[in-house]
Amino acid sequence: MEKEVARESVLDGYAPKTYKKRREHIVTVDSPLETPQEILANVRTLPGMLTHRGCCYAGCKGVVLGPIKDACTIVHGPIGCSFYTWGTRRHKGRSEDESQQNFIPYCFSTDMQEGDIVFGGEKKLRAAISEAVELFHPKLIFICSTCPVGLIGDDINAVAEWTRTEYGIEAVAFACEGYKGVSQSAGHHIANNQLIKRIIGTGDIQPTATHSVNLLGEYNIGGDGWETERLLKRCGIEILAVLTGDGSYERIASSNNADLNLVQCHRSISYIAEMMHVQYGTDWLKVNFVGITSTIKSLREIAIYFDDPALTARVEEVIVDEMASIADEYDYYKERLTGKTAAMYVGGSRSHHYQGLLRDFGVDTVLAGYEFAHRDDYEGREIIPDIKTDADSKNIETLDVAPIDGKYRVRFTKSAYENLKEKIEGLDYYAGLMKEMDKGSVVVDDLNHYETEEFIRLLEPDIFYSGIKDKYVVQKGGTVSRQLHSYDYQGPYAGFKGAINFAHDTLMSLTTPAWKLVVPPWRHESVLEGTVGGDL
Amino acid sequence: MPASHASKLIKPEGALVDLNVNPCKMCMPMGTSQAVYGIRACMEILHGSQGCATYIRRHMATHYNEPIDIASSSLTEQGAVYGGKANLFKGIDNLIRLYNPGVIAVCTTCMADTIGEDVPGMLNLWRDEHPESEATLIAVSSPGYAGTQFEGWFRFLHALVSQVEVAKPSNNETSPSSRQRPLVNIITGPTSPADMRWIKSLVGRFDVDAIFLPDISDNLDGARSPKYNRLSTSGTDIADVARMSQAQATIELATFIPDDYSPAAYLHKHHGVPYTRLNLPVGLRDIDAFIAEFARISGDPVPTDLTAARGRYLDAMIDSHKYNAEGRAVVFGEPDFCYAVCRMCVEEGIVPVVVATGSRCPGFAEAIEPMVAELASAFLVDGFDVVDDADFGDIERLAVKRGANIMVGSSDGRRIEAKCGIPLVRCEFPIHDHVGGQRVRTMGYEGSLMLLDTITNSLLQRKTSTFRAAIRDEFYEGPGPTVASPSQMEHSSDAPSSSVPSAVPAARIHPCFEDACPATARIHLPVAPVCNISCNYCVRRFDCPNESRPGVVTKVLSPQEALERYLLARTRVESLDVVGIAGPGDALANWEQVRETLRLIRAVDESVLFCLSTNGLLLPRYADELIELGVTHVTVTMNAVDPIVGAQIYRQVTLDHITYTGEAAAAVLLSNQIAGIKYLTSRGILVKVNCVLIEGVNDRHIDAVAAMAAELGATMANIMPMIPVPGSPFGNRPLVKNSTVRSTRERCEQYLPQMRHCHQCRADAIGKLGEDVRALFDEKPEGAVRHQVAGIAEEDPNRRVVDAPRDGSTASHPQKRVPHVSRVAVASRGGMLVDQHFGHAKAFLIYETDGQEVRYRDRRVLKNYCSGSSDCDEHEQTDEAYKRVLEAIGDCDAVVSLRIGEAPRKMLCASGILPIATCETVEDAVREAHAERLATQGSPPLDASC
Repeated sequence: MEKEVARESVLDGYAPKTYKKRREHIVTVDSPLETPQEILANVRTLPGMLTHRGCCYAGCKGVVLGPIKDACTIVHGPIGCSFYTWGTRRHKGRSEDESQQNFIPYCFSTDMQEGDIVFGGEKKLRAAISEAVELFHPKLIFICSTCPVGLIGDDINAVAEWTRTEYGIEAVAFACEGYKGVSQSAGHHIANNQLIKRIIGTGDIQPTATHSVNLLGEYNIGGDGWETERLLKRCGIEILAVLTGDGSYERIASSNNADLNLVQCHRSISYIAEMMHVQYGTDWLKVNFVGITSTIKSLREIAIYFDDPALTARVEEVIVDEMASIADEYDYYKERLTGKTAAMYVGGSRSHHYQGLLRDFGVDTVLAGYEFAHRDDYEGREIIPDIKTDADSKNIETLDVAPIDGKYRVRFTKSAYENLKEKIEGLDYYAGLMKEMDKGSVVVDDLNHYETEEFIRLLEPDIFYSGIKDKYVVQKGGTVSRQLHSYDYQGPYAGFKGAINFAHDTLMSLTTPAWKLVVPPWRHESVLEGTVGGDL
Repeated sequence: MPASHASKLIKPEGALVDLNVNPCKMCMPMGTSQAVYGIRACMEILHGSQGCATYIRRHMATHYNEPIDIASSSLTEQGAVYGGKANLFKGIDNLIRLYNPGVIAVCTTCMADTIGEDVPGMLNLWRDEHPESEATLIAVSSPGYAGTQFEGWFRFLHALVSQVEVAKPSNNETSPSSRQRPLVNIITGPTSPADMRWIKSLVGRFDVDAIFLPDISDNLDGARSPKYNRLSTSGTDIADVARMSQAQATIELATFIPDDYSPAAYLHKHHGVPYTRLNLPVGLRDIDAFIAEFARISGDPVPTDLTAARGRYLDAMIDSHKYNAEGRAVVFGEPDFCYAVCRMCVEEGIVPVVVATGSRCPGFAEAIEPMVAELASAFLVDGFDVVDDADFGDIERLAVKRGANIMVGSSDGRRIEAKCGIPLVRCEFPIHDHVGGQRVRTMGYEGSLMLLDTITNSLLQRKTSTFRAAIRDEFYEGPGPTVASPSQMEHSSDAPSSSVPSAVPAARIHPCFEDACPATARIHLPVAPVCNISCNYCVRRFDCPNESRPGVVTKVLSPQEALERYLLARTRVESLDVVGIAGPGDALANWEQVRETLRLIRAVDESVLFCLSTNGLLLPRYADELIELGVTHVTVTMNAVDPIVGAQIYRQVTLDHITYTGEAAAAVLLSNQIAGIKYLTSRGILVKVNCVLIEGVNDRHIDAVAAMAAELGATMANIMPMIPVPGSPFGNRPLVKNSTVRSTRERCEQYLPQMRHCHQCRADAIGKLGEDVRALFDEKPEGAVRHQVAGIAEEDPNRRVVDAPRDGSTASHPQKRVPHVSRVAVASRGGMLVDQHFGHAKAFLIYETDGQEVRYRDRRVLKNYCSGSSDCDEHEQTDEAYKRVLEAIGDCDAVVSLRIGEAPRKMLCASGILPIATCETVEDAVREAHAERLATQGSPPLDASC
């Protein structure tokens, strides 16, 4: 079906008010390479719509802080929120040596009860911290608050201050109550702010190699970060710190000593990249280690940035070698996957990352969407000045940062920098998702359950990539699905070898004999019959 | 045996009060969401921030593998300030437009209740504004801080029963003819969909008109249908809920439900419906009770196939009880689940040693303790714990303390399973790491039998994968690397046996190992209090009689105190050449202390001989370390080489938190003794086998023990008469006659030299055999010695290399090698992956490769050079550290480690050793190093920083 017709057909299911609001979240791409059309993003979720978005706490504690392995993160609030972020994101972590603590398997909570809501929970939080210090001797404590804490006015910043004085260890408070902002995105920002304020720039680890980088926005889901690290290491590039997959306190604290920031997930970590640029003069490079073409491009751009013939040669060697190692499998999967179509609805960067990977195997993306992206993730950073700041965004603090004396490093002259920027598109810049999407494909912000079902019925993708919450709706509807949040316990999908893993898993799903016993209704039904209830 | 004493309803010692470590519970809205799926065409809208709905959907979808649709009013900061009415109304409108549910449950979250939202009032307002709407709206107060998912489940049901408008009895139903089928409400607590299907089919066998509340059987475990319905098509009809007030009886399957929100109590109070509360139908008695109730209400007899199913269950219980009697279970989860599974375990003879619920549940311990206490007392189980408001921090600690060998609960126990090796039977929500959570059966005869079989098989699996495999390999398949912990021995078995250097110096001067009592003196250091086996001739109040005569309890020393005593003894006892560890428990069961003690002494005395005695249970695990530490003489007490004989001597054997009894215990012990002795003797360690002669038990079996000992390469045997210790099971046996001992020794001489000068020393004996000068040492060490001890501790950073390369010549590694073979030193903890920082490596594994085959050669130990930033400033120390590294691995071509600092990298390069940082597997890394070396030969290494 024509994509624009599909869009209208889906929107037709809504009541007039809802129609008006949702219309601006759904775009049919008409001229991909020029200025993308405007899309409405990062605004309040419509209630009652079965959104897949999470909350501020999820973005802060679950996404950004969760993978920091040696931080003892105490969730201040009733038990549920803490339980629900316990080991559910597959961010893998391992101790680098015996002395390093690893709290990834743990879940700490103050387990607030009714009395604590009425009389305040600060006392309980202090007591919980004392117990944690006594029992686990952490070097770093994070305090994350959930909804009721902000509402009853517990001062977690004061408790963090008290912890620092009382125990002489670092403690950071994150006021990431679930109702703040409009999605996880607010939580990313809050986590970024506090890490910049209290952690980054306080460490002593110096890089040992000539070229060193930090890997930002890589959460090591299914081991992606480790595979990326292996590649970079082969090229002779040292990763000083990863933010935050398998990350550690000391390394993150020392990350300002690296030469360059590589940004994988733009949405969740771009604040840190920007602020480090201002404070320490560290440039950032938007990379993408998902997909073969993207990985090669990213490696080459890193080499261009460092402008070292030895490194450039080594990078080319590694590319040739890695390509050779996957050549046979690549051909095999490409031959079988070419011509398939996919729809994708993930997070705030992945829907972009994986399109390149799918294209490597000849798979077209007919629909892509983000849960919590901002307009710049869709349209490119050039539109940032045009984004209207609404009440919800204003409630999240924007830090005013300045160069730090003694730590700010000038790396290029102005002209050399400009010159470099011409050569590297992703230097301190992100072009967004839509420029790379095919004409006629559909982009949806905050796709909900109803729209998922409708679009699948209308666009008939061979496979739908999303998360656990929509997975079963898609499968019940007769369409193959794979999770791109947790990878269905597979992975890694990053780099050259990861691409093969991904292709293997995708092909396996598409060709599983059991699917032949299931026929999706739209294969034998007229698609026009299926409009949902509501006033048309 | 005294009666068991369970802990009371207080959190046990050491438990945390304010910090929950790994929660064993979820929040109330989780329970409401599950129960909502038991009502037809019902959807939930969670009033609060959207994360609550998202998290609960994610957790339920993972467990049930079904689409989980829970709406949210998506409150933001604006809602927090101005209230959430507008969002809630919009949410209800959107939900109705897109899904048109018949029933909408509006459940509150922490946020809504904290800001004081009046949901019932709002819903009244909404109804007024939407007179045309046919949707039934239910208001549920379920803030996360006021209870767990268990309470949430019932809160929703209670709200439903109390808010749905009561239906007027139709004429038809009041007529006498329809009265023949009694109307019965069946209200269930949290169940699996599969169990719910069983309840429905069971009730269907009786002539009753039943209303099930809730009925999640299809909605949370749906069949694939050609068309996906986004609204639930089965479950309890709201019209039936309206009829519940007319029922003749209510059966509520719940044990710990408070009357405040019990639907049955509500129906009784407001509509006069009598109710019966039954336990969940798990385990024979409670299933019987459930079925009997329906037979009573309907007047029907129990169908014969149910009787047959009952018979099969009972038969299976009898068949399995002998395996299950070893079961020491941890049962955790929701209160009713714990209670039901406990009842089932207890009637089968599995002792629930830890029962824990995350909910705060008054009456929990009082209800469970008596039944566990009775069984525990009969099974000689010393103690157990029943706790509510528990977290997994508590559960793990108690499980280890009580020696549990099986866990029953949700998949949240998997971390304990992985860490402590206690198998976990997953049969309660949530199950996140296995499939089939929605199909788990625990109820009914078949369901309970399936659960019981799973428990039994998990226990058997443990057993077959441990001692039986060892026995088979040892006796049937012939010798092989069959030890308790095979990984410990991998390295040595890779190396050609001829290249294994002997750890024993030529001079044999150990007093016990000589033919006669020589002039050498020894000191026994009592640093090992714990024992891991229980022998029938032993009473734990006294020292272990296999090595040391029972007497006053020995004062156990810390490693530091042991060092002090040794240093003192050296000044007072002539020719003190042997340090021994002989208890008072088992040396290897106290490995940390023993290792530290030997390490400390070796640091001050390079020449003293080390010996220790052990029951051998942990010998395979620590044999390599023993040798590394320089232990040259080991005594193993082996009283039997036949598990049937052994079973009469050993009451219990505990290995890795699993307690074995009977022949299993003896077999586990024996197989490890055999593997351990064999390994030690193959490495040149002198092994003496002690054997306690017990008349009427192993007196005719001693010959076989001696023969086996000889076959294993032991140096001598020491056959000792048992000393009957009052209070031990063998306490009343007569003393063995000297003549019997003598004749036994003579018989056994044909296999092995016999030790005849044994004095059955104490664990803290000092001096020559037969001249214990221990009394001299009951005072504090003198100042001079104290000073010396302090000096040792301070000198720590520069302590000498503990284990020089085993060929004895410290700096003489270089053996000529073919040029195309690379020798590579690898920093790896386990030998699988390159996973150590160069500076953190305490030892290097040495491999050789020609690019194809990778061969393990050696393990070289050194003092790690990077012991913290404070040490690294001193150039001298660093140089010293480099020297040590070069001494150990100077003959290698390359060093492979996870990371390496800049300075050591330069140092290695300067010494012609190629440093490589990688995280590959060891084999790949060694090959990579080889390739790299060839590539860079003759030119500077590729790495520019070198």
